[in-house]
Amino acid sequence: MRIKLPREKRIYYIKTVIRWIIYYIIIILFFSTMNAGTWTKPILLVPAALCIAMKNDVMASAFTGAVCGFLTDVACGKLFGYNAVLLTVFCAAVSLVFELYFRDKFINFFWINAVVSLIQCCLDFEFYYNIWKYDHAEMIFYGITVKVWAYTVISSVFVYLIFKFVNKKLMPREHLTIKEIIDNNRGITQFSKE
Amino acid sequence: MKSFVKSTRFRILIAFVAFLVGIMIYAVTKGGYSLSAASLINLVTQPVKSVSNSIALEFERISDKIFSPDKYYIENQELKERINELNRKLAEYDDLKAEVEELRKFADMKKEYPELDMSMPAEVLGYVTNDPFKSFNIDKGSADGIEPYSPVITADGLVGMTVEVSERSSTVRTILSPDLSVAAVASSTNADYGIIEGTVLTAADGHTKMSHLSTAHKLREGDLIVTAGNTGMFPKDYPIGTVLSTDFEINGLSACAEIEPCCDITRLSTVFVITDFTGKKEGADENKTAP
Repeated sequence: MRIKLPREKRIYYIKTVIRWIIYYIIIILFFSTMNAGTWTKPILLVPAALCIAMKNDVMASAFTGAVCGFLTDVACGKLFGYNAVLLTVFCAAVSLVFELYFRDKFINFFWINAVVSLIQCCLDFEFYYNIWKYDHAEMIFYGITVKVWAYTVISSVFVYLIFKFVNKKLMPREHLTIKEIIDNNRGITQFSKE
Repeated sequence: MKSFVKSTRFRILIAFVAFLVGIMIYAVTKGGYSLSAASLINLVTQPVKSVSNSIALEFERISDKIFSPDKYYIENQELKERINELNRKLAEYDDLKAEVEELRKFADMKKEYPELDMSMPAEVLGYVTNDPFKSFNIDKGSADGIEPYSPVITADGLVGMTVEVSERSSTVRTILSPDLSVAAVASSTNADYGIIEGTVLTAADGHTKMSHLSTAHKLREGDLIVTAGNTGMFPKDYPIGTVLSTDFEINGLSACAEIEPCCDITRLSTVFVITDFTGKKEGADENKTAP
């Protein structure tokens, strides 16, 4: 049985609300960055959505993935909803994977982000250029797709640090009762015996 | 007192005063010129006066700083406010200047192409992220009378066509894209017809390609290419670009040319959308199909 003091509850809610507001401010900032200039830019919203998914529950992650996807569609001039579908699926999966299997480590985030970005970039190239059989489409692949993927992977380090800082300051810590700790430990012991 | 008045010292004093009065009267009669003695004194004391004056001024300045900082603070604030106000006015002036220039271009274009109905100048909001063909968004939409597949131009030449229109913004596909085809003709010969259609290769350099040219074409480097106007999608005789080089297609059946657009499509700030023109394809609105 979890017992929380009213003050503790209040702090929990306030921190959660502020954290989500900051998440969305960062998302809007990344969206603005993606719309600036004419040079090749990283898709910052992909690592941002994955960073949020790593530390939050499935539904919230999926919703944030959809928002980031829609914004990516608008910024990149893609079919409205195309990236939203992709990122919703990826964010929900990442949230589940981190909840059940992976530990919250940078290296886990880094390779998952690399894989997700690669899939997103390759699908983008396939559906928007390669499928239409443009002459010299491989130039787009090497000149833009690979570059965007590399930039996204490199920039994910900074994105991770930003979200880590926000989470460190505003992520409410779980307060377990003694009974919950004993139950958890019992579960782990049984699991290791099996 | 009586004894002092009668004394020699008093007489000398009176004589000295009388001498001074005499000098004074003499000085008055010199008509503005100083006496030679006064000149000498002035000459000798000039450096001293100068140094002492500068020291005094410096002292006054320091004492003024120490004893009246409020006065300077207020003055500083007032000056800052004045500078800010002037900067604001300057920014407003720059905006107005840019707007006037745009409107002047708009008026010139209206004069030059009276058959074209154009939207007000549309600002380029930004280029589509990572698009190799430089599609971009503008701040005018259906609320400003813009429809999908309307030609987009600058004062220099054709830019592209609107492909997605929302109420307050639109997306423009440029002539660098392989998805946009424009019937074109060489302005000089008026006989070499072709299709302007971008490729991945030419778009990388900000150029486009004119294909389906006759192998017997007479195009030369620098020739101006204009819209043919026979599809009803674009107005006739509007500049597109100049010929950079010509070559044969891989199949050898037709020729092609690399075209440098009249305007730098990668660096646009303002464009115009043609809402109507003479020879516009009837029923284009009903079909809503891309060219």
